[in-house]
Amino acid sequence: MARRPDDEYDYLFKVVLIGDSGVGKSNLLSRFTRNEFCLESKSTIGVEFATRTLEVEGRTIKAQIWDTAGQERYRAITSAYYRGALGALLVYDVTKPTTFENVSRWLKELRDHADANIVIMLIGNKTDLKHLRAVATEDAQSYAEKEGLSFIETSALEATNVEKAFHTILAEIYRIISKKSLSSGEPAPASVKEGKTITVGGPEPTKKACCTS
Amino acid sequence: MQEPELHDLSDDADYAASQQQASASVMLRSDSTKQSSSSEPDSAEIVFTKDNVAIHPTQFASERISGRLKLIKQGSSLFMTWIPYNTPSSNATLSEKDRNLYTIRAVPFTDIRSIRKHNPALGWQYIIVVLSSGLAYPPLYFYNGGVKEFLATIKQHVLLVRSAEDANVFIVNDFQNPLQRTLSSLEMPRAVSIAGEPSNISVNESTLNENEERIDSGANDGSSSVSPYRVRSRQRVNDPARDISIQVLEKFSLVTRFARETTSQLFGETQSNGFGAIERRTLEETPRVRSKKSFNVGEKYVDESLVPPDPLEFDKLSLVWGKPRQTPLGSDEWITFLDSEGRVMDSESLRRRIFYGGLDHNLRKEVWGLLLGYYSYDSTYAEREYLKSVKKSEYETIKSQWQSISPAQARRFTKFRERKGLIDKDVVRTDRLLAFYDGDENPNVTVLRDILLTYSFYNFDLGYCQLVELLDSPLHKYFEQHDCLNYFFCFRWILIQFKRELEFESTMRLWEVLWTHYPCEHLHLYFCVAVLKRYRKKIMGERMDFDTLLKFINELSGQIDLDSNLMDAEALCIWAGENGAARIPPGTPPSLPIDDVSLYPQLEDEVL
Repeated sequence: MARRPDDEYDYLFKVVLIGDSGVGKSNLLSRFTRNEFCLESKSTIGVEFATRTLEVEGRTIKAQIWDTAGQERYRAITSAYYRGALGALLVYDVTKPTTFENVSRWLKELRDHADANIVIMLIGNKTDLKHLRAVATEDAQSYAEKEGLSFIETSALEATNVEKAFHTILAEIYRIISKKSLSSGEPAPASVKEGKTITVGGPEPTKKACCTS
Repeated sequence: MQEPELHDLSDDADYAASQQQASASVMLRSDSTKQSSSSEPDSAEIVFTKDNVAIHPTQFASERISGRLKLIKQGSSLFMTWIPYNTPSSNATLSEKDRNLYTIRAVPFTDIRSIRKHNPALGWQYIIVVLSSGLAYPPLYFYNGGVKEFLATIKQHVLLVRSAEDANVFIVNDFQNPLQRTLSSLEMPRAVSIAGEPSNISVNESTLNENEERIDSGANDGSSSVSPYRVRSRQRVNDPARDISIQVLEKFSLVTRFARETTSQLFGETQSNGFGAIERRTLEETPRVRSKKSFNVGEKYVDESLVPPDPLEFDKLSLVWGKPRQTPLGSDEWITFLDSEGRVMDSESLRRRIFYGGLDHNLRKEVWGLLLGYYSYDSTYAEREYLKSVKKSEYETIKSQWQSISPAQARRFTKFRERKGLIDKDVVRTDRLLAFYDGDENPNVTVLRDILLTYSFYNFDLGYCQLVELLDSPLHKYFEQHDCLNYFFCFRWILIQFKRELEFESTMRLWEVLWTHYPCEHLHLYFCVAVLKRYRKKIMGERMDFDTLLKFINELSGQIDLDSNLMDAEALCIWAGENGAARIPPGTPPSLPIDDVSLYPQLEDEVL
């Protein structure tokens, strides 16, 4: 795709937002990309997109966030959106235990359809609803450790930790990318400089076949 | 280069089919007039003859076909014929069969909507004849001049009015005449036609192929009755983008090919049903396009020449176009469709009227009931009132069923709980920006929730929103090659029938138009194709991959113009005809999902 001159960046990272319906994925995205929050935002159908460009360790990173539909009825198509994603933000609602219980199902989705090296962050959203909290921070924390995920709690409404969550995952992706290009002896890949999306699985023998293709 | 291929009309089944369809519809309509006629045909009189009138099926001079244009008067009817010369010009490469494809056999002027004349600064004068069905003949070039004379002769015999909007367009049988418009809205097209006389004319050169008579012209039929009709901006002379592109016209053959290709690849696949040849050609073409692109690695611009031309470039050409959209059906006109007791006298014409213009908002409450099959068309006012009261109590009964489920029952009734949770979640974020659903504690929101939940109870297994297991068929070639499974980028369009892509008012308009099932049951799919075709050059030119395409399509939200795409969808639907319908996999939900128990088996008694 032709690149606009004002669209300068060093890396383009595709990150997917996943998790049960109504946990606040779309609002995390709108908070991060537009600093907006809407209590009655429409339910996502299929997928929606937003981007934000930010600095990570001196590099300009363009984050392309794919906000997927959480409802079960869309499951068959949402999995197709994981392809090429470098990161996944797996969101649950701290006031709804079922959304936390379903995290394992979402992890399975990712393992089935996403790249094996995808960076996953577990996000407990809606911490502003303190009186309704039903999932303890410690439980989620220990689950994340067990599964090897990073973990953070956020409130899209109060804008708590939203910035931090995105920064953390983008930085983690960047670290992996730069380490990878270091270990493979290549300089920071030129193609990436051109603003191309990179695939973690890349030229290595892929551990998992990519989805749908 | 593939250019010669693209322009090669020989053996082009599509072109043949389109011609056949066009001429068949003309013939059929003539035929139906004939049946209603009681008089014997008068002898025909040739009132105008012009030699060396040619069509240019391709850009190659060698393939131009010259012939004789005639106006023939029979009784009070006027007909036009154009018959190619039997002796092809010296270097012609087209076969007899091909030449016959272009023959215009006695088309009555009642079937002609308009004639547009072109006087290019360089080159020959030509005209484009547009039929009231929306189809148009290829341009007719007057090598020896005579366009003016031709039009003057027509004017002596039928009502011919210069368009107020474009001095080069001449409208036949002007329906802007208030009297005619009124009559036509009363579905009396034949009474209106200036020359609507028996068309049992015999023109010795023209022979009607027997097969043509079988072709159903339903989609076109009656179209001459289109009421307040205006030649609109498409034909505005000062807008080059809207000018009918002669180059594209000359690629006439491609029109149908790509329409069908797109349709078939979107809808269904390669059962061989007469279009095998086309599909093979498509398979051959696309790789060539790709390989050419690879020579241009690194290019930043879009080389449009690499994208196969879109035959239905709607903004440039309208060889085939949907009829101009009309104003919505209003109360006064609505009454004219009803008999004294409120029965719809002619549901077909009502649906056609709604298809072309939609409904005034105040009529929706009543007419949607008919469109959606809630009331039957032949119900009276009284019967509708009665049915409404019966249905209302049915609704209350079902509603009380789920309302009576106690919390304890609900805990054991997982499916109900899940469904209710889903609906509760959706309802609070449905259209809350609309005044109707705005604000906290809005009773309309509760009503919506009750309706959805009751519906889910009524049709429990269907689920309340499971419209689509659709378009899982093989994909458009390009999309296939680029791993763009169409299912995904069209998903939202189809699932909620463009509700997120259009303003609320436009959504209602689109829906009621789709519900008419006129001119076909799956118009929403053609609407998808129409939208895609608008952007095909961009999509293919920029070689959009799956992600880019998905994003691009998503961002079309709010940018889709309803009326022009509806016209395009109609045109596509007409072109695709029966073959288009045949490609749509069985079980594909129509635009108006039917409540067919056999399709959606219900689970009974799971509830109580």
